[in-house]
Amino acid sequence: MLRRLVGMFGAALFLALGSAAIIGRLGRSWESRVAVEGHSMEPTLFPGDWLLVDPDAYARHTPRVGELVVARDPRDVTRVIVKRVIALLGDDRVTLAGDHPAHAADAVTVGAVAREGLLGRPWFRYWPDGRIGPVR
Amino acid sequence: MLSRALRALAPRTTVHAHCDIPCGVYDPAQARIEAESCYKIIQKYQDSKDELFRARCIHVKEERAELTKHHIDVMWHDYFKPEHVEKFPDLHEVCWKASKQASQVKRTVDIEEAQKLLDMIDKIDMMWRETGGPASTRMQASA
Repeated sequence: MLRRLVGMFGAALFLALGSAAIIGRLGRSWESRVAVEGHSMEPTLFPGDWLLVDPDAYARHTPRVGELVVARDPRDVTRVIVKRVIALLGDDRVTLAGDHPAHAADAVTVGAVAREGLLGRPWFRYWPDGRIGPVR
Repeated sequence: MLSRALRALAPRTTVHAHCDIPCGVYDPAQARIEAESCYKIIQKYQDSKDELFRARCIHVKEERAELTKHHIDVMWHDYFKPEHVEKFPDLHEVCWKASKQASQVKRTVDIEEAQKLLDMIDKIDMMWRETGGPASTRMQASA
């Protein structure tokens, strides 16, 4: 009986902490929402897409190859870009590139971006309504 | 009503996903010239007793070393393609070490370190020549 109670209490605590974490992440991501402009991330992202961005993603884990990132443009730090991580350089820098097929052919990259230049990870498209859902 | 709701939902930040236009012009000579500057500046630093001049040497050398690193990175990230890595499996390591060596030259006045950087850039130059070189990534002088 006691065991069952402890089990239920544990499950409730787990659920409560879990939902608090999700709500926290949603709130932080909502504050960091962005609008996409430009075509280099097609067919993953299109101009006019509105995205939730987790600003704490890279405080929790190191960037991984294949992840979408929002970063400061290394060529113009006043600009913010959305790209994909295509390589980890081993000295706390990553290489970013666009998804567009014309880019893949050219292997065009933005260049190396320091980890502190990564502002967050886009994870959910909340607009337009026909394409709402997770992005990766 | 709807437009007001949309305005409230709209992001305040725009993220750019514009296409980058590669000019297609690459040459490790850019890195080599900056690295030679570092080498010569270190020589001048060692030969001088004028403290002000030596301080200026340090300042300019650091700028040149940073430019060297930038030009190495451009070769590494923009010029070299996966098929080049197939041809030279140590390509990533060579570029990575050269980039790190540029940082090393930035913080020392050891001429040996500057020479090492030049030798590493020459390796990148060899890989560039073997994968297309000036014929594919430089404009030819007009007659």
